[in-house]
Amino acid sequence: MAEALIETRGLTRRFGALAAVDGVSLSFEKGRLHAVIGPNGAGKSTFLNLLSGELRASAGRVLLGGADVTRAPPDRLSRLGVGRAYQTANLFPELSCGDCVWLAAQSRLPSSMHFFRPAERYSQVGVRAARALEACGLGQRSAAIAGQLSYGEQRQLEIAMVLATDPVLLLLDEPLAGLGHDEALRVVALLREVARGRTAILVEHDMDAVFSISDSVTVLVDGRVLVSGKPEEIRRSTAVRDAYLGGDFA
Amino acid sequence: MSLSLFALQLVNGVEYGLLLFLVASGLTLVFGVLGVLNFAHGSFYMLGAYLAFWISERTGSLWLAILLGVPAMVLIGLLVERLAISRLYARDHLSQVLLTYGLVLLFNELQRALWGNEVHGVSTPGALSFTVPLGAQTWPAWRAFTSFSCILLALGMRQVVLKTRFGMRVRAGASNAEMVEALGIDVRRLFSILFCAGTALAGLAGMLAAPLTTVYPGMGESVLILSFVVVVIGGIGSIKGAFFGALLVALADTFGKVLLPGFASAMVYAVMAAVLLWRPRGLLGAAPEGR
Amino acid sequence: MRRRLLLLAGAAALAAVAFSGDRFWLQFLGKAMIGCILAIGLDLLVGFTGLVSLAHSAFFGLAAYALAGLTNGLGLTSPLATLPLCLGAAAAAALIIGWLSLRATGVYFIMVTLAFTQMLYYFFNDAPSLGGSDGLYVQARPVDSRLAAYLAIWASLIAVYLLLSQMLRAPYGRVLEGIRGNEQRMRSLGFPTRRYKLVAFVIAGATAGLAGYLDATLYGFVTPAQLGWRQSGLILVTVLLGGKGTLYGPAFGALLLAFIEHYGEQVTEHWNALIAALVIAVVLFLPRGLAGLLQGRPRG
Repeated sequence: MAEALIETRGLTRRFGALAAVDGVSLSFEKGRLHAVIGPNGAGKSTFLNLLSGELRASAGRVLLGGADVTRAPPDRLSRLGVGRAYQTANLFPELSCGDCVWLAAQSRLPSSMHFFRPAERYSQVGVRAARALEACGLGQRSAAIAGQLSYGEQRQLEIAMVLATDPVLLLLDEPLAGLGHDEALRVVALLREVARGRTAILVEHDMDAVFSISDSVTVLVDGRVLVSGKPEEIRRSTAVRDAYLGGDFA
Repeated sequence: MSLSLFALQLVNGVEYGLLLFLVASGLTLVFGVLGVLNFAHGSFYMLGAYLAFWISERTGSLWLAILLGVPAMVLIGLLVERLAISRLYARDHLSQVLLTYGLVLLFNELQRALWGNEVHGVSTPGALSFTVPLGAQTWPAWRAFTSFSCILLALGMRQVVLKTRFGMRVRAGASNAEMVEALGIDVRRLFSILFCAGTALAGLAGMLAAPLTTVYPGMGESVLILSFVVVVIGGIGSIKGAFFGALLVALADTFGKVLLPGFASAMVYAVMAAVLLWRPRGLLGAAPEGR
Repeated sequence: MRRRLLLLAGAAALAAVAFSGDRFWLQFLGKAMIGCILAIGLDLLVGFTGLVSLAHSAFFGLAAYALAGLTNGLGLTSPLATLPLCLGAAAAAALIIGWLSLRATGVYFIMVTLAFTQMLYYFFNDAPSLGGSDGLYVQARPVDSRLAAYLAIWASLIAVYLLLSQMLRAPYGRVLEGIRGNEQRMRSLGFPTRRYKLVAFVIAGATAGLAGYLDATLYGFVTPAQLGWRQSGLILVTVLLGGKGTLYGPAFGALLLAFIEHYGEQVTEHWNALIAALVIAVVLFLPRGLAGLLQGRPRG
C-alpha cells in the first residue's frame, strides 16, 4: 500500500455531550484525491476543521508525514503544507483578486518581516501569485475587488489562494456548494487539475463530482466511519445507501 | 493587621464591590447583548449622584430623590439609546469608543454647566443616620442599607434573567443577537429596555453612593474604568461574572490601599492583567472555540 | 499625485514657519506637529492593522518621564544619549504591554490596553518622587532653543511619515493589511499573526515615545495628565477625524484638532462640548474622515 500523507487515529471532537467526530481513524494515501461524504450532521466539516487546526481535538491524534500535528495551530499547519479552502467566502473582501492571491503567495516567504523594499519587487511572489490566478481562470480579473465577485468567481479565487501557497495537502470544503451546473463543471475540472500531483481531501455533497474525480471515498455517519474504499464499492454498498435513506445516487 | 481592622476592610470592600456590581452589571449587559462598548456608562453613575444631590437639596429628602431620580435615569437612558447608541449596533469598535467618548465629554460639560466644579455633600435620610456596632467598629446604617439593596437587586436580576421570558431573550441575545432577531423577537425594544435598565442601575448606584463619596466632577471616571476591569474579568455578558468580578476588584482595591498605599490604584489593573493572562476571555466569559 | 503635492506644500509651509521666529507659532505648531506624530503612529495600529489601542498616550508619557529622569537624575542631556534611551524605554514597554495585551482579542484587547494605560498613569501620578500630579521640570533639555526644537520636531514628523509609508508598501505592510481584512484567513494561510501585530504595536509605541521625547524637549515639563485614557482617546479622535488607514489623514486630523482646541478655548469655556459635538458628528456622518472626502468614491 502506498504511503499515507496524513492519518488520523481515534480522532474525536466533542461539543458538550455531543461527539461530532467520534474515534475516526483514517489513512489518506499520498498523491490521491480522497472524498469524505455523508449525510448532514455527519461531522464532515468538523473533521476538516480538525485537520486544518481550526478546532482542537478532544481526543485522538493527527499525523502528517508521520509527525504528530494534533496540537498544531492553523498557521503552523499551513507552513507544513496544508492548504485549506473554505466553503463560505473567506477572502479579503476589500482587496483585489491580485492582492488576495499575492498575500497567499507571500506566505511562502520564509518571513514577511521585511520593511524596506516594496512588496512588488519580490518577483518570486508575484510570479507564483499570477500563476495561481491564471490556473484558476481569473487571470483577467486581477484588479477586480474580491468582495464584488460573483459566487462562482469567489470560489475560483478561494482555490487560487490555496494554490498560491503551493500546498502538499489540499483540504477542500464543499467547493461546489451553491454553484449552478455549468459553474460546477468548471470548478470540478479545475479541482482535477489542481489536485494533480498533490494529496487532496474533498468534502462534498455533489455525488456526480465526487465519483468522477475521487480515488477513494470515505462515508461518515454520526461522526463515525461507516465504510471507506474505492468509489465503485461505495456506490454499490447497501449500507451506504441506507445511511442516505435512498439518497440521490443509486 | 488586627482582626477588627481586617473585618472592617472586608466589609468596606464588599460594600464597594456590591455598588460596583450595580454599575458593572449594566455595562456587561450592554456589552454582551447590544455589542456596544459604552464609555459613557460612568457618566450615568455621575448623573445619578448629581440628581440625588439636586433633588434632595431642594426637597430635603434623599428618598424622594431616589424615587424621582430612577425614572429620570430611565428616561435619559432612552434618549441616549434612541439618539446615539442605536446607531452603533453593528459598527466597528473604533466608532463605538469614539462616539461614547464624545458622550462623556458632553455629559461632563453638562454637569459643569449645571452644577459647577465644587464638591457637594449629600446627607443620609434621617431614618438611616444611625450606626450599628460591629465588634470594636461601627457600621453606618446607610451603608448597610445600600449593601442590602444591591444584594436584593442582584437576586432580582438573577430571577429575571433565569426565570422570565424576558430574561430568556436576554440570555439568547447575549449569545446570538442575530438569531434572536431572526426568531421575530423585537430586538430593538429588547435593546432599548436593556440599555435603560443599565442606565438606571448605574444611576441608582450613584444615588446610593452619593452620601458616602460626596458628589464631585469626574466621579464617574474611576467607576467607569473599574467597571470595565470588572466586566473584562468576569466575562462580557455575564452577570454572575460581574458579581464576582466586582467583589474581587473591590477587595483588591480596598486591601491594596491599606497594604500597599503607593501602588493601590495600579494593583487593580495588575489583577486584571493577571486574570486575562490566565483566562483570555475573562473568568466566566465564553471559552474561545478551538484556538 | 495631487496628494503628494499637497503634502509637500504642507511640509514646506511648516518649515517656513521656522524662519518667522514667531514665538507663539513655533510653540503652537511644534505642539501640533507632535500631535501629528502621535496620530500617524496610532494610525499604523488602528487604520492599518485594525487594532484599537488606548495605550498610545502611555508610551508618550513614559518617554517624556524617561527624559526628565535622565536629565534631572543623571545629568544626561545629549540627544545622542537620551534619544535612543527614551525610545528604547518606550519600545520596551510597548513590547511587554503589547505581548500581554495581544493575548486578548477584540474588545478585550481594547480593555487591556486601557488597563495598562491607567496603570502607568497612576504610577506616575501617585509617586511623589516623580513629581506626583504636579509633574516634573526637565532641568536641562537636549536642545536649547525653541527654534531647534521646532526643527527637530519637523524633521521627526517627516521621517516618521516616510519610514512608515515605506514600511507599509513592503511585505510587512501587506501582512498588516491582510490582518485588518481577515485575520483568521491570514493564520490559515500560514502567517503567525500575533507576531506581526506585536511588531506594529512596538513600532507605534516607539513613535509615541518619540513624540513624548520631543514634547518634553519643547516644553521642558512633564505631567501625568499627558497619560491616561482620555489623552489616548483624543489621539484616536484625530485619527478618525483625519481618516484612518491613510497616514496623512490623521496628521491633518491632529493639526485640525490643535486649531480647534486653541481657538475653541477663546470662544467659549465649554469648548469641550464643541469637541464632543465634533467627535459625535464625525462618527455618525463622516466615518471615513476628511481623507474620505478627498478620496471621493469609496474604493470598491
